[in-house]
Amino acid sequence: MSVRPAAGGWGAEGCTVRFTSARGVVTALSDISLAVPRGQVTAVVGGDGAGKTTLLRVLAGRVTPGSGRVSAPDAHDMGFMPSASGVWRELTVDENLEFVGRAYGVRGARLAARRRTLLERADLLDAADRLSGRLSGGMRQKLGFCLAMIHEPELLILDEPSTGVDPVSRVELWRMIAETAATGRAVVMSTTYLDEAERVASVLVLDGGYALYAGDPRNIGSAVPGCVVRGAAAVVAGQAAWRRGPETHAWFAAEVPAGSEGVADPDMEDAVIALTLAHDARAADPRAAT
Amino acid sequence: MLAMIIKEFRELRRDRRTLAMLLALPVLLLIVFGYAANFHITSLTAAVVGPGAAQVEQQIAANPQAAGHLDIVATDPSGDVAAARSYLADAKANVAVYVGGAKPVVYIDGSSLFAAQSAQVLVASLGSKVDSEILFNPQLKTSWVMVPALVGLILTFIGMLVTSIGLVKERQNGTLEQLAVMPFRPSAVIAGKIAPYFVLAAADMLAVTLLGVWIFKVPFNGSPLLFALGGAIFLFVVLGLGVLISTISQTVGQAIQTAMFVLMPQILLSGFIFPLAAMPAGVRWIGYLLPLTYFAKISQGIMLRGAGLSSLWPAFVILTVMAVVAFGAAVLRFQRSIAPVRSRAGRSPGGKLGDGTAEQGVEVLKGATP
Amino acid sequence: MSGEHPIIRVEHAVKKFGHFTAVDDVSLRVEAGQILGLLGANGAGKTTLIKLILGLEALDGGDVFVFDERPSRASRARLGYVPQGLGLYSDLTVRQNIDFVAGAFGVAEPPEAPEAIAAAGGRLVGDVGLGVQRRLAFYCALLHAPELLVLDEPTSGVDPLARARLWDTIHQQAETGAGVLVTTHYMQEAEQCDDLLLMSHGRKVAAGTEAEITAGTKVVEVSTPSWVAAFDALSAAGLPVTLAGRVVRVAGLERAQIDEVLAAASVPATVRDVPATLEEKMVLADRPESAP
Repeated sequence: MSVRPAAGGWGAEGCTVRFTSARGVVTALSDISLAVPRGQVTAVVGGDGAGKTTLLRVLAGRVTPGSGRVSAPDAHDMGFMPSASGVWRELTVDENLEFVGRAYGVRGARLAARRRTLLERADLLDAADRLSGRLSGGMRQKLGFCLAMIHEPELLILDEPSTGVDPVSRVELWRMIAETAATGRAVVMSTTYLDEAERVASVLVLDGGYALYAGDPRNIGSAVPGCVVRGAAAVVAGQAAWRRGPETHAWFAAEVPAGSEGVADPDMEDAVIALTLAHDARAADPRAAT
Repeated sequence: MLAMIIKEFRELRRDRRTLAMLLALPVLLLIVFGYAANFHITSLTAAVVGPGAAQVEQQIAANPQAAGHLDIVATDPSGDVAAARSYLADAKANVAVYVGGAKPVVYIDGSSLFAAQSAQVLVASLGSKVDSEILFNPQLKTSWVMVPALVGLILTFIGMLVTSIGLVKERQNGTLEQLAVMPFRPSAVIAGKIAPYFVLAAADMLAVTLLGVWIFKVPFNGSPLLFALGGAIFLFVVLGLGVLISTISQTVGQAIQTAMFVLMPQILLSGFIFPLAAMPAGVRWIGYLLPLTYFAKISQGIMLRGAGLSSLWPAFVILTVMAVVAFGAAVLRFQRSIAPVRSRAGRSPGGKLGDGTAEQGVEVLKGATP
Repeated sequence: MSGEHPIIRVEHAVKKFGHFTAVDDVSLRVEAGQILGLLGANGAGKTTLIKLILGLEALDGGDVFVFDERPSRASRARLGYVPQGLGLYSDLTVRQNIDFVAGAFGVAEPPEAPEAIAAAGGRLVGDVGLGVQRRLAFYCALLHAPELLVLDEPTSGVDPLARARLWDTIHQQAETGAGVLVTTHYMQEAEQCDDLLLMSHGRKVAAGTEAEITAGTKVVEVSTPSWVAAFDALSAAGLPVTLAGRVVRVAGLERAQIDEVLAAASVPATVRDVPATLEEKMVLADRPESAP
């Protein structure tokens, strides 16, 4: 269950990353493969500690894996947006653009043209001489995106670009991301929002450094081993149950127990929860059949 | 309330920098004000020059009181007045006695304020048997001695405190990671970050010197070029220290704490306030480890005594060595801090990782951003 | 549960910081056993409103009552609060954090801690993962059996399973009679709440159950293989477009209007009316009175 990078494509293959921290050796990524093809958006989904940021940093060349291969363009052809927007707060929007532009060799007429295009698309033209520390969260994230895109890189890496952002800016950000992919570039982004993961071409779901699912998000329901049920049988399922508002859903490793209602095509949230439980069960008892 | 107290103690136990301050500061102050804070210089170095040199030397040796206060470092029977003055210009002695004319003349080095004051007392006790003249700082003005050393202090502040804050802020905001991803060479990053502070410090140095000359009428007798060179070398030392401090601090507060740690001894033990000569040897050696001590020697020598490389070369050499070490170490550490993090080698072990424990070198800045 | 004595009663609260109005005429109630969700993006005013309810900020207008009185130390002793930053000491161990909170609230014998927390007892809070940190923050907030829970973005950043577990705890508390006020910027979590209050730019945009809130809004769903082209065409026309999966949705307009725009851009698609989502409600509310 992995999506290997096509020959000549970008991505990571079989990467394992282990760090020594205050409490011994920690495995941040375990044999993770991720393909980032051109012309589409690839998402990495997971909670805190799942390994999303580490994986993106591996792609960006900031972390060297202990084993595995990474295929990525060099710094000039790569754009990176860290999870804290990567914006210099003491500079204005224009000053940020100029600094990053010059760092990538974008100056003069080309810089002016890129600036105009980017700020227009991001609806930031009116704020061009505002201190970026004074922008709202959503506007700052959009600026971060512009900075990552200013040199028209082949590979764009975005770490949680829309976390906490207001709904209007989120949609605008998504539009900017989708447009970028549509122009033929490779885009990979990490997110904790499952609805964003649903709209990408390919998703990698991580949990604790392990891959729970990789592939088309529309097929994640069918990748769940066993079944997901709702109703009375779910309520008594103990640790394998979870609340969805007024309902309780549960995951069973085997078939649907008699008298309970199965969930035919679990949505992404149910699927991820079930996959996490299945993974935990396998880890606790490797002999158990999936 | 008890819960508050217990918690505060537990937290303090883990805050090593504050603990160090709590323990080290009293010790430092005790040493300084117990031993080092001494304005009274008991022993003066002297050069005896001129035809009657040998005779004077014997007289001094014969007089226990005088011998106790005067340490004769050179006897020069063939020297003339100029030679006597040059002993002082080269800071080879605190006083130079020229015995050649009708009365012996005691030349006193006015750039060593407290030594000069001691010498004045000595001369007064000799009454009309000798003439005396204070060189370089005839009115023994404190400002004339302070301003050159102040130049060094300002360079130290900018070099260490301001530079380290600027670098740590970048790391705190997460934008250092950004810089690391961009096509900058690490040397370009460090040079770009430091250059403005270098320029600012140089401008400050010029401003303070000019103000000192205009307002306090401090003389500038030596070579401006040599002065600038000394300043530049010293700047590399303190900038290097500033960068080093930034690589071991995670927050601006920590950077300030650490910078003050390094700054305080320099203010107190570099001879800036309390003269080195008055400190007991056990404490004086600390002063000899501090860069500001050597820059103060250079700036005081050039401005007040018109001293040149021939007499100041030891200070220059020591500062240069310090600059190479400090700045070199700084560049290396900084490069390491923005280099890619290497994972431990090998494939993953089986089984699931537990609860996603925090990873070293990976900043997780999500969640509560208002 | 009678509606006579709600645990929280906010009436036309106003809070300004200089010229900036953080909370603009917001009213709400939380009853015992009820979970009220405050939804809105960062900067909408949720945290400021929470601080007004807790008595950490002073009102510039309106009234706030907690347990039928103005917020005070007494009312704070009856509620459990988990702030956005969790309020834990990262340089103390898990056990030491629990000791501190128990001591502060005068809880002589804390209830048994969940396994994950007990297992991490001797580790520094700064060294454990966010999931465990959040559960610890919850546990500490519940130590003194509060009648009201105030949670500011309790599940931000955690994975779906951990989020579900946190919500299990919240539901348990509500079922034993506690009132719960939760803020979140995940619209998905709305389904976990009994009632909702949507906030944007300090103002109340909508209130009620999810069904009530989305009832009055028209949304048109556009199905087409070339969803990117459709999205572009509709955005270019300045319409409030959102996305659900690969399906393009436009809120607040008639099908005919959408058809026109798409036809003009030569994008073949089928359109139909569908129920609105909360996010669309927010997006519509944010736009200045829009008529294309």
